Amino acid sequence: MNELLAVKNLSKAWFGVPANSNLSFSIAQGTVTGIIGQNGAGKSTLMGMLGGTVLPSGGEMFWRGQPYQPRDAADAIKAGIGFIHQELNLFTNLSVAENLYIDGFPRRMGLIDWKAITQRTREILARLDLDFDPMIQVGRLSPGERQLVEIARALHNEASLLIFDEPTTSLTPRETERLFATIDGLKAEGRTIIYISHILSDVQRLADRVIVLRDGKLVEQGPADQFTIPLMIRSMIGRDMGGLFPARSNKPQPDPILVAQNLTQPGVVEDVSLTIHKGEIVGLFGLMGSGRTELARILFGLDPFQSGRISIEGKSPEQGPRARIEAGMAFVTEERRAEGLMMDASIAENLTLVQLDGFGAGRLGILDRWSMVERTEQSRTELSIKAANIQEQPAKALSGGNQQKVVIGKWQIGNPRLFILDEPTRGVDVGAKFEIYSLVDKIAAEGGGVLMISSELDELLGMADRIVVMNRGEVTGEIAREQFDRERILAMAFREVIA
Amino acid sequence: MTAIRTKRSLAARAADVFLSDYFIFYLCIAFIIVLAPFLPVLIAPANAVNIMSNMWPLLIVAIGQTFVLAIGGIDLSQGAVMAVTAVIGAMLITLAVDPVTFMRTPLWGLILTEQGGPLAGVTGGVLLALVMMLLAAVLIGLFNGASVALFDLPPFMVTLVTMMTLSAFALWLTQSGNIANLPDDFTRLGRGDLVSVYFGAKEESQLARRQVYSFVTFPMVIALIMAFLAHIILNRTVFGARVLAIGMNRKAAVISGIPVRRIVIAVFVLSAVCAMIGGLLYSARLEAGRPTLGGGTFLLDVIAASVIGGTSLFGGKAKIIWTFFGVLFYVLMSSALSAMNLSAFQIDMVKGGIILGAALLDVFRTWLKRERLQ
Amino acid sequence: MMKIATLAATLLLTTAAGATTAQAANICFSFQDLETEFWVAGHKAITTTLTEMGHNVLERNANEDVNKQLEQIKDCIAQGVDGVIMIPQDGESANTIIRESQNSDVPIVVFNRPPADTGQGVIVVADNAGIAEDATDFVLQQALEGAADDAKLNAVVIVGDLGDSNAIARKQGFEAAVAKYPDRFNVIEVASEWDAATALANLEAAVTANPQIDVMFTSSDFLFPTIRSVLEPRGMWKKIGEEGHIPLAGLDGDATACQLIKDGFVDATGVQDLYFEAEASVNAIVQAVEAGETDPNEIIFDPGFTLTSANIGEREMDMWGCVLLSEGFLNN
Repeated sequence: MNELLAVKNLSKAWFGVPANSNLSFSIAQGTVTGIIGQNGAGKSTLMGMLGGTVLPSGGEMFWRGQPYQPRDAADAIKAGIGFIHQELNLFTNLSVAENLYIDGFPRRMGLIDWKAITQRTREILARLDLDFDPMIQVGRLSPGERQLVEIARALHNEASLLIFDEPTTSLTPRETERLFATIDGLKAEGRTIIYISHILSDVQRLADRVIVLRDGKLVEQGPADQFTIPLMIRSMIGRDMGGLFPARSNKPQPDPILVAQNLTQPGVVEDVSLTIHKGEIVGLFGLMGSGRTELARILFGLDPFQSGRISIEGKSPEQGPRARIEAGMAFVTEERRAEGLMMDASIAENLTLVQLDGFGAGRLGILDRWSMVERTEQSRTELSIKAANIQEQPAKALSGGNQQKVVIGKWQIGNPRLFILDEPTRGVDVGAKFEIYSLVDKIAAEGGGVLMISSELDELLGMADRIVVMNRGEVTGEIAREQFDRERILAMAFREVIA
Repeated sequence: MTAIRTKRSLAARAADVFLSDYFIFYLCIAFIIVLAPFLPVLIAPANAVNIMSNMWPLLIVAIGQTFVLAIGGIDLSQGAVMAVTAVIGAMLITLAVDPVTFMRTPLWGLILTEQGGPLAGVTGGVLLALVMMLLAAVLIGLFNGASVALFDLPPFMVTLVTMMTLSAFALWLTQSGNIANLPDDFTRLGRGDLVSVYFGAKEESQLARRQVYSFVTFPMVIALIMAFLAHIILNRTVFGARVLAIGMNRKAAVISGIPVRRIVIAVFVLSAVCAMIGGLLYSARLEAGRPTLGGGTFLLDVIAASVIGGTSLFGGKAKIIWTFFGVLFYVLMSSALSAMNLSAFQIDMVKGGIILGAALLDVFRTWLKRERLQ
Repeated sequence: MMKIATLAATLLLTTAAGATTAQAANICFSFQDLETEFWVAGHKAITTTLTEMGHNVLERNANEDVNKQLEQIKDCIAQGVDGVIMIPQDGESANTIIRESQNSDVPIVVFNRPPADTGQGVIVVADNAGIAEDATDFVLQQALEGAADDAKLNAVVIVGDLGDSNAIARKQGFEAAVAKYPDRFNVIEVASEWDAATALANLEAAVTANPQIDVMFTSSDFLFPTIRSVLEPRGMWKKIGEEGHIPLAGLDGDATACQLIKDGFVDATGVQDLYFEAEASVNAIVQAVEAGETDPNEIIFDPGFTLTSANIGEREMDMWGCVLLSEGFLNN
């Protein structure tokens, strides 16, 4: 097999701190290489060097046997490397065709040649089995479709190496399957793939070879069939871990905390009833667009509902999130950056945000700095937030897992009795996932109720006492822990497809 | 090895200076030290007094702007608020107006006569006029804030509309006339000194002149009290922490149960009231209510001074102490440029360059801060 | 802190003062803007005169901001200037600034734009009424020459913004001239509010209502292009001597007016004698400084003169507009 890309002793240090040290590996044409590692293992830096956005501090790269020294992203594109990013890099206000041609529009007689553009875009989309109009605005496509548009863009740029960085985080299982089929197709065409993901089963499903990074070093590489999932985890974190999930430490109590009856908001949710008991973890599963997040927003008072009833511990709260918070609710949103954290504020400022009132004294509400420091340091210990100085360090300096702990922590200061967790482990690496699961278990053990929303069925199967399944705004089934059955749950989620 | 360590600690110490809240203040001192030998007038007592008297009203207006910038907004209507409230106050208390000018205004006969405004010579009239000005400012602030908070209109648009409408309204009310002949009780606010210092006769100019300078003036006292209160409110209270939280991430603030709408409205009211007080001091000093007050590039001065201090235009990053030093730096710079006898065009160009430099310094400081935390 | 600063300042100022001679005065010249050609010419006249006399000029441009003008003049005073020449933004702020300056024992001269209260400071101002009267008189006579003895003639006057004391004086001057010929003129008043668009609309209306116009006076020369755009399409824009010429007079003496007089379209313009005013201002301030007078109060009137097609040959270079014209101003 031909060697497409090779790196030798590649290193990068940021101000003396090594991010990558002495990486050496090669990638053969027409193969899929899975790269795994915890957050901070050096994957992003490595990708940056391949993509021309990060300048190596040592070592060499070879592209088709020739020395490869990209100075910027354009060099990488020219060489034939295409990135499909975790955070989609598309212009949502432009059409699919415009996104493909953003680097340079073909012209005819000085004018943009729209005819050629749409025709060529249609051809590329057809190769990916996509049948939408080239002129449709990207903003109107689902996350999965956008991902495929990113691939289309890479194909348009004649990429022979496609690098996928966490491509499935915002995809539904169906969209994920479709993506995998596309990747198989690309491989069959002779294109080469680098696939980076936290979802190890996906890596196992796709990859021919696996490369494991840890602390900036390449700790293991080899054919994929040599790696089982526990083996991958062990080499990623450098030690054994007893299972992926902590054992549930309590049984739910009979008294309900939240009762929602017949909630209806046209076009969003339809006749949804849901009860969460003390000490219970209820998993809410559904595909993208099934109305999971929308339901959570309605429960938390952020969005209105037309009919139905919500009661928390027997009382109907007033409209708006403030009343819900007072009633004892907490909401860890799916969008950690956009809705959860003030990324530039210190960790401590984030932790105290929800309960600011509690730290104010007198009529002016003068903040009691001392008790704020005391309380946030206590949170740091309780949550084991890994940061040198939570009073000074901004939230954005933390890893995904630690950021999520801060979001949970800011609610915990108010001692809420009901947590809604929307995708609590998205973008969180394996080690930190376990810590977050432990936190969730602890909340339930202390008598709190938890509504855990996830598109990773495995984590719901591992954590929930009961799973509720939604499809297109309706509850399509409910299943207790004793009866958990992957096939049945997926069937409920795909209701219409199966039926 | 030792050499390296010293070098590092030196760099670290330099970084400390850069990251300090007092950085712009150090810059002001450096500015004076560098320029004083060439421009001795910069540190002459008379000039120091001028710098301070130019600083106070600007500081008050900039404090209001700082709050709006802190929530990630901008208040373009401050200048117009100054003009409208100044006209309203002046028309109530003026002791006499020129009939030729004001006969054509809609105020004639209704509010203004040849004998002045309705509160002319009334005991407590000035106080009542101040209350009316405050009321007008609060109403304008409520309008701005409610439009932004309740209808989700961009602050730039809302306050642009307010600015245009109010300036036109002030001009229409007075038909471009300035309402002069204000009572002494009012004008004293602009100049009245509490402590004056006698520096002895001055020899340099050809004419001997009195050397008595007003050091502690009403504007100084008002501005310092307001700055102190604003500092406490923005950086030491629940309200201030919420203001900054909204500026940093409005969505997160909503979800975290912060009463975002109420705070946005309060911030715009605060901004309008600060503008009104700044305008009051300007009017008192100019001894007239002017419909053109706060026009021209005034607002740019306010925003530039705030931003030089380090307040972010994107919200979430603001301190009153920064604004204080930003205004000081801005006024000092204007004074120095004017003392250099440059032409108006040159002054604006140099000013632009210095503001750009300050913005770049801020970028550098942000970078330095990030590096330090990594 | 302050004491140290003072000490340093005194030391430095003393050394600086030693370098300058006793005769050369530092004069602060503060103006509100340089937007129109009149102010450009005035600015040039004052700075050149002062520099030629060996004095230092500290120029301050307030960009039409009174607050800035006040701050700049205070800064000037702090810098130890000997006197101030100011073109104020308006009458009210002028008084505030005059008081500020005189209270600091610095003499001040106000150039061309009079303060609301003319009792303070040296005020150099054109005799707007007199100049307007002379210019109007000249065209009224022209109009009467070609008319029958008992005919009543239509006289149009374009007035300025009546909030401006100069505009009022000019209108009064026009009225005084008309009053010399009782029952001979029917006056049509057109408001301009010192705005070309307003003047255009109102003049169009007036000319449509009164197709026969025998003489016209505009309160400012800057409106001549507007007048032309109304008259020309109606065949009323003619040279002197041509059939249908309307005797036209203006006031200011700008470059356009100079050109139009040379071309024969305009009969006369009342000229503010800018060079006289500049010299009077400079002399007043220099005298005050030399006499050690800190608060001289005086009004100096500029009588102006009327520039006509008849005297343009001899007086051309006394008129600022013609000087600008000869320097190629209109070509720029």
